[in-house]
Amino acid sequence: MKRDQALQLVYDAIDAVNPQLPESRRLAKKPETVLVGPAGRLDSLGVINFLLTLEDRASEAVGAPVQLLDETSLITEHERFRTVDTLARHLEGLGRA
Amino acid sequence: MSQSPILFIADFNIDTLALHIANSTMPGIVTRVAPYGAVVPALAAGTPEREWMSVVWTRPESASAAFQAALEFAEPDTDRALDEARALAHAIARFARGTRATFVPNWTLSPWYRGYGPLDLRPGLGVAGLLARMNLVLAETLAAQSNVFVLDTARWIAAAGPRGWSDKLWYAAKSPFGLPVIEQAAADIAAAIEGLAGRARRLVILDLDDVLWGGVVGETGWQGLNLGGHDANGEAYADFQRALRGLTRRGIQLAIVSKNDEAVALEAIDRHPEMQLRRADFAAWRINWDDKAQSVVALLADIGLGAESAVFIDDSAIERARVASGVPGVLVPEWPAEPARFRVALASLRCFDTPVVTADDRARSAMYVAERSRRESLTAAGDPGDIAAWRQSLDVVVAVEPLSAANLDRAAQLFNKTNQMNLATRRLSAAELMDWASAAHHAILTFRVTDRFGDSGLTGIIGMEFGANGRHARLTDFLISCRVMGRGVEETLLHVAIEHARASGASALAAGLRTTARNAPCLEFFRRSGFRTAPDTRDGCHTFTWDVVQLYERPRWVTLRT
Repeated sequence: MKRDQALQLVYDAIDAVNPQLPESRRLAKKPETVLVGPAGRLDSLGVINFLLTLEDRASEAVGAPVQLLDETSLITEHERFRTVDTLARHLEGLGRA
Repeated sequence: MSQSPILFIADFNIDTLALHIANSTMPGIVTRVAPYGAVVPALAAGTPEREWMSVVWTRPESASAAFQAALEFAEPDTDRALDEARALAHAIARFARGTRATFVPNWTLSPWYRGYGPLDLRPGLGVAGLLARMNLVLAETLAAQSNVFVLDTARWIAAAGPRGWSDKLWYAAKSPFGLPVIEQAAADIAAAIEGLAGRARRLVILDLDDVLWGGVVGETGWQGLNLGGHDANGEAYADFQRALRGLTRRGIQLAIVSKNDEAVALEAIDRHPEMQLRRADFAAWRINWDDKAQSVVALLADIGLGAESAVFIDDSAIERARVASGVPGVLVPEWPAEPARFRVALASLRCFDTPVVTADDRARSAMYVAERSRRESLTAAGDPGDIAAWRQSLDVVVAVEPLSAANLDRAAQLFNKTNQMNLATRRLSAAELMDWASAAHHAILTFRVTDRFGDSGLTGIIGMEFGANGRHARLTDFLISCRVMGRGVEETLLHVAIEHARASGASALAAGLRTTARNAPCLEFFRRSGFRTAPDTRDGCHTFTWDVVQLYERPRWVTLRT
């Protein structure tokens, strides 16, 4: 998967969860936007909705199941999900695998 | 009504829906979520205040242990499942009495569940069949409670597609419904709330060429139009017309604003054999070469509706943009280019939802035709002297009826959607209106209006409150449909109110008018009504009084039936 495509998938998932956030707390569609962690604006339910939406879209894009929502990896590989940029890089890697 | 807080009660994690409604669909509305899974205790606890609304959403397997067993292919105990469904429905109905409105999404199965396959709808065996019966029990039990609305969850799931249901979401967050279902649910609930608040749209203004038919009638004549017949687009135009005609049976008016030669366009409407809509189906039209925004404004004035009541449909993006900017308040949806998508586009507007469909709604097409004939006869009357004779010729009859179960739905509908001739603009549900009318020292009278052109239906209401000492009476509500304004009905209602006050022993009748953005016609009417203006220090309020000892004569041309 190319970088632009990976970023677009993350942005599409942001579009899906932003309606659940107040106007002032919506996620910006920028690489540096923090998704997960103390500075993130999504609560645990928001993170789940976000990652499942992204899973669906990424699975369609690569033509194979993509698993992102894994409670263990959310804790142990927290850095992977931290920002739009790191998550897009992870998706790029999945596309190459 | 739209700002009433909403309490969410569910046997799953419904936070996403509450957040979506509060942050997007109805920004700023207060929401609260009961602890999930504790449905029965939450129903027993009720809402904090009667003004609250509620969403009660349960899954069938938690609503009924018998259904849960049937899901696992135990021999179905239909009677027990239906009893359990009925018991929950009764609990919801009791709870709903303490709410302004309660929305109950019906029960669904996950889309992947196949049950007994080809046997799954077989009575006494199939799980889908059992669920259909449980949903029927739910809907029938709750039908007795007029402020409860059972919503169609299966349609949300179908519209959402494969992302609508997620077992993974269920295991991770205890919510089975994906974001696309949440969006559908939020949009339907918001539309229902808009309808309850009297903000449903009541008029569809249509272009003609490439909207009601394919082609340009001015170039081809009606014989050259693509409509009906054995043609995919022609059939789609005809079906779109049928869908529009269906709206008229729900009380929604149709009108035309088109740049065309009027005679040529009307000839097509009258003579094309495949036309599903005829001249009598349209409340009004402006077919000319004028600016469309100006035509829409003029047409709304003809019909007596505000821009917020109207939807404008046109195939031209330029005309849509012109009307959207030139007539603020009119809903101007994006419109697909392909006629095959017209019916879907119309259905997706969600702006026509109302809490009731009354007999008056069903008869409204005939009322529109009568109103158009009435307007034409008024235009023909010309000068003021002739207008007096015109009024005399109408044979207006106003019949007074107290509020009753028979007219409650229509009265509540009028209460919630009348803007222009409305003294207090109180918005009350049917139950609240009946409660208010039943209280001591209160009265609600309704008025039906007919004339030689036809029956306009229940089109006027007054509410009155009598002081405990019996000397003072207050006109709390005075509202009249714009359909009957200008025929002496306004003065007749005041006449009845004053006679009622006199009969109760009051010496004065006071009317407190609260100004809104829309009720200037009511203020103007009271200013010229002969009532005395009394000081009122409240912002936007005016008080008018009448000494009851003095007669208030009704217009001579109006016959009053009590």
